Amino acid sequence: MITATHLTKSYETPGETVEVLRDLSLELTDGATAAIVGPSGCGKTTLLNLLGALDRPTSGSIRIDDLDIAQLSEADAAAFRNHRLGFVFQQHHLLPQLNVLENVLVPRLSGDWDEPAAATQERATELLVKVGLQDRLHHLPWQLSGGEKLRTAVARALINQPKLILADEPTGSLDPASTDQVADLLLELNRDQGVTLLVVTHNHVLAERMSQTLELRQGKLWSA
Amino acid sequence: MTSLAFIRRGLTHYRGSYLGVLAGAALGAMVLLGALFAGDSVKATLRTLAEQRIGWVESVLVGGENFVTRDLADRLDAAPVLQLQAQVNAGQASAGQVDLLGIDHRFWSLGPGKPATTAPEGDAFKINSTLARQLDVGTGDSLVVRLRKPSLLSSDAPLSGDTEELITLRGTVSDILADDQMGRFSLRSSQLPTPLLCLPIDRLAEAIEHPGKANLILSAKPIDPEKLRASMTLADYGLHFEPIPLADAVELRIDNIFLPTAIETKARQVFPDARPVLTYLANTIAANGRETPYSMVAGIDASPILPTDLEDGEIVLNSWEAEDLATKPGDDVTLTYYVLGRNNRLDEESATFTVRSIIPLEGLAADRKWMPDFPGIAEAESNADWSPGLPLDLTRIREKDETYWDDHKGTPKAFITHRAAADLWRNRWGSATGLRMARLDSSRIDPLLDILKPTDAGLAIRDVRSQAASSADSPTDFAGLFLGMSFFLILAAVGLTAMLFRFNVDQRNHESGLLAALGIPAKRILRWRLTEGFVVVALGSIIGLLLAVAYTRGLLAFLGTIWSTDGGGLFRFHMSPASTIGGLAGFMMLVMLTIRFVTRRQARRGAGIRLESGTEEVIRSRKTKAPWVAAISLLVGAGALVASKAMGPQGGFFLAGSAFLVAGLAAFVWRLRRRQFLPEEAIDPSGLAAINTTRRPTRSLVVTASLAAGVFLVVSVAAFQKHGGDEWKNKSSGAGGFAFWIETTSPVHRGSGKEGLELQADPPADLLPFRIGTGDDASCFNLNAVSRPRLLATDVSLLEGRFTIRSTMFYQEISWSNLTLPLSEREIPAFIDETTLRWVLKRNLGDRITYLDDFGNEVRIVIAGTLADSVFQGSFVVDEQVFLKHFPESGGYRLFLGETTGLINSDRQKYQQAFTDLGASVTTTSERLAAFHSVENTYISIFHVLGGLGVVLGAAGLGLLTARNLAERRDEFALLRTLGIPGRIRRAIILSESLRYILWGLGTGLLSAIISILPNLPETNRTLTFAWVATLALVIAVNAIFWAWLGYRHLAQS
Repeated sequence: MITATHLTKSYETPGETVEVLRDLSLELTDGATAAIVGPSGCGKTTLLNLLGALDRPTSGSIRIDDLDIAQLSEADAAAFRNHRLGFVFQQHHLLPQLNVLENVLVPRLSGDWDEPAAATQERATELLVKVGLQDRLHHLPWQLSGGEKLRTAVARALINQPKLILADEPTGSLDPASTDQVADLLLELNRDQGVTLLVVTHNHVLAERMSQTLELRQGKLWSA
Repeated sequence: MTSLAFIRRGLTHYRGSYLGVLAGAALGAMVLLGALFAGDSVKATLRTLAEQRIGWVESVLVGGENFVTRDLADRLDAAPVLQLQAQVNAGQASAGQVDLLGIDHRFWSLGPGKPATTAPEGDAFKINSTLARQLDVGTGDSLVVRLRKPSLLSSDAPLSGDTEELITLRGTVSDILADDQMGRFSLRSSQLPTPLLCLPIDRLAEAIEHPGKANLILSAKPIDPEKLRASMTLADYGLHFEPIPLADAVELRIDNIFLPTAIETKARQVFPDARPVLTYLANTIAANGRETPYSMVAGIDASPILPTDLEDGEIVLNSWEAEDLATKPGDDVTLTYYVLGRNNRLDEESATFTVRSIIPLEGLAADRKWMPDFPGIAEAESNADWSPGLPLDLTRIREKDETYWDDHKGTPKAFITHRAAADLWRNRWGSATGLRMARLDSSRIDPLLDILKPTDAGLAIRDVRSQAASSADSPTDFAGLFLGMSFFLILAAVGLTAMLFRFNVDQRNHESGLLAALGIPAKRILRWRLTEGFVVVALGSIIGLLLAVAYTRGLLAFLGTIWSTDGGGLFRFHMSPASTIGGLAGFMMLVMLTIRFVTRRQARRGAGIRLESGTEEVIRSRKTKAPWVAAISLLVGAGALVASKAMGPQGGFFLAGSAFLVAGLAAFVWRLRRRQFLPEEAIDPSGLAAINTTRRPTRSLVVTASLAAGVFLVVSVAAFQKHGGDEWKNKSSGAGGFAFWIETTSPVHRGSGKEGLELQADPPADLLPFRIGTGDDASCFNLNAVSRPRLLATDVSLLEGRFTIRSTMFYQEISWSNLTLPLSEREIPAFIDETTLRWVLKRNLGDRITYLDDFGNEVRIVIAGTLADSVFQGSFVVDEQVFLKHFPESGGYRLFLGETTGLINSDRQKYQQAFTDLGASVTTTSERLAAFHSVENTYISIFHVLGGLGVVLGAAGLGLLTARNLAERRDEFALLRTLGIPGRIRRAIILSESLRYILWGLGTGLLSAIISILPNLPETNRTLTFAWVATLALVIAVNAIFWAWLGYRHLAQS
């Protein structure tokens, strides 16, 4: 269950203070899928960063299950992201020096995973098979297509078996066919593993496939 | 995937980017370790040289002008040596101030290396390689050795015999002694080898007519003072009992003629009935208008031939003299005689006595034994053969005088009381020529030996082992010196390394952001980055260590050209574990701390920001402490300038300069921050460039600070470059207006000025003579630690108005005459060159340094004043009269400051001729000053090379920054191109950005340097210095622009 209440977020920029989110509230039940749409610069990524404990709100609270993530220390926020969240970014952010399998295993580098390394690696391989990259396990990122990179990023987001996946424009750089494939993959995960899915997107096709679509306008969320 | 594997991947993937970090670390480590190794090498070399210099010798008994029997060496189980100074010729080649060692086989056992196979025999000479090189000779070549015959009595003394007697020895070089075969033997603390010639001690002793004698005893064990005292015989003190048959008495006499006061006093304790005798030469005994030339007069007490109540003002004449002067009791008789005046001149004085009685020339009154064996008189066949070392007018000698000499030799013609004689003729060597006693009680000889001390005879034990060990600690800490000189280069290398590392971190901002987003703790990410950095820095440092070996060898070869006489090869490479490990660890820690510092802000940044910003540096607050830092630094700088008088020019300069530098850089940061938050710049190339400089303020600061610090250091040190010129003509200059500095192997004993000196030919102009006393050369040419600089004694009244006395203590008025006023009984005031005081002695005004005087007593040299940059560097200057009270054995003048007629070359030749037989080295004072300056200028040159490399490195950083900025803004420039912005505009933007860094860095550095050095610049050199500074600034600016252009070209072409 995600509950964001009266969220505001503002930034100081040269010459002025910009208020990006204004008294925003959001509620998302477990296993739900939602898309957040809105014009560029409306604060979608900011909201995602707040929900992902990458940033702190200026005011308001964010509860994910029983945890007020706005109050977490830097270390606890990191642990929260590492164990309970899955992130998918538009730019994928694969590490160029690591191969596909290793990129998926990067979250394990936090060093506090109880699971044996071999078990994680086995699951990473399964995930990569599942996203269709069984032949690309030992390829470096520059050897992959855009869709393959995204699928690697999705596999990485799932390696910690998260309850919530936050995806920031995951299909921004993909063609319609690939977009469909990614949407299928994410919804399949939602269906099979009960993962809550929150996608920030400009892509109406992808947004329409989510159970609810919210529009971020003037710092607030509106049902689309 | 483990952390280790992740780090390994990072290292290999970003190896290109880490290559720069590696190179920077290698360079920095090389320079830092090179400095430490240079220090190690100098220390180790000096230690080795010190060991070679003394071999296995632990302690020595030094006699100087006093001789002991060689038997004493046997009793001490030591090696006897006759050590003299000589001039050695081989064909046309000549070497002065050669140490002549008369030795036997025992000397060789003291060499640390393979002993020379045999002691020299017959006419064989063994010489060291220094002398061989100076004369360009080898084995089998013939040499001619010329030396002054040493007198038993100091040649300074009246009646010491002919001081001009030269001895010539011929021989063939049989061996060239290696350094470890005592080829470097010397008791002087210096890294420079002394030219050395060894010959059999018997041959030398015979030649100087001191058979069986030595004046130096070398022992491989510490000489126990008590054992030495117990081993000393009367002969070792130069004492003997002379039978006086006519008086049925004996007289205690000393080879040195005048009984030292200490010996006389002790002997009279043991022989209370002994009466002193002082016999002296009267130039004239005159009465009634008649005179007798050159007669001995004896001062005696309680002799049966004299009235028991003889008064001090009365004189007793023998019948021959009374007849010659036609005198009778009651007449006045005047004695004329020589005494020693200033500059050891012989001043003729006179005294008048009343004739008490006339005694017949018979019996004890006719005893020749009243006269001691005055050199040059005692052995003379006739009056005409006299060579007493006094200016005699032999034409005054009459036939009857010769007859008297034939019949009675030196029998005194007159007698006065000893007290009266002592009042007239007492000198610094003593006041008695003998102690007469009725009979010799042999049982009293041991008690006499029991209370005599070797120092009473001018003998001193020197612990040469510990002296050599302490002298090997050079006063110049070369490690510190080179660290100081390399400071900026190291700093630039560290800065560059950190900046390149920061580039890598910036380049991986997205990666760090991603890792943070995936929940990897920020500290862990930072640790990985730092571990990667550590691996690269460690690898670079190890490469630097290897390079440092070659770099140090190069430095040592360069240093060798300054401090050795053979053009290099003096220093041997040495690296100590402490320097290696400490240097490596220290350097790596420095780099890691810098890296940690420059990455700290990045590490604190949130993942979201990093993912957003890429390589941009995001600053979200306009708050900065920069204005405060600038204001406080300005205040500190101004305060340091005001207080520079109290802090010393160097301290004040560095503090003020550093403060102004920090102020300038803080102002730069402030300006960047203001522009970042007040983007009111016009959109033109210059405005855009101004905005661009604010985008990555840390990078901008690193580059500007590197340039500013480089300019500051190089320019400010350049200002201290010393320029030679004609200043020596000025009496207040470091040459005191003297044109020549003349040092001789053999001394001149009397006189001063142009006419008064006893020289082979007339000198072209006036000369001021100096005695060279005990101590070592403490000038910048001597790398060894010198705790007691040599003493130069002269009539300081003749220095009045010359040189610049910088500061004095104890006195109201600054004057050379201050030195004539002893501060206490056992203290001698001295002036010293301020360079020697500050850098070699590391002492302060008013400090006291203890020496042992000729009586074995402690005497303190008080640092009473300093001289500005003078030819006296390395020595104390003291007043001759004060000096002679404590060092009466000091024999003659061996240093002269000469005036000029204006014709330098001609005068140099004339001086050379005047001092021909004395083994003189004639140099001009301007050459001497230039030589001192060359050492300081060499340091400055090294600093310039190293500092210049630092500036190049700093400028290279600017080039890298330009390239990096362009690479990161490739899209930006592509956009400008797409928008139709012409290439010249795009280039103008880039050039304008680089120029801003250069101008700010150059301006800050230049301004800081000029403000802080201005008060310390000598007026005379300002124009030259500013021209030099302007040239340097121009070169640095061009260099920086070149590197920026190179960075631009690199990117433009790719």
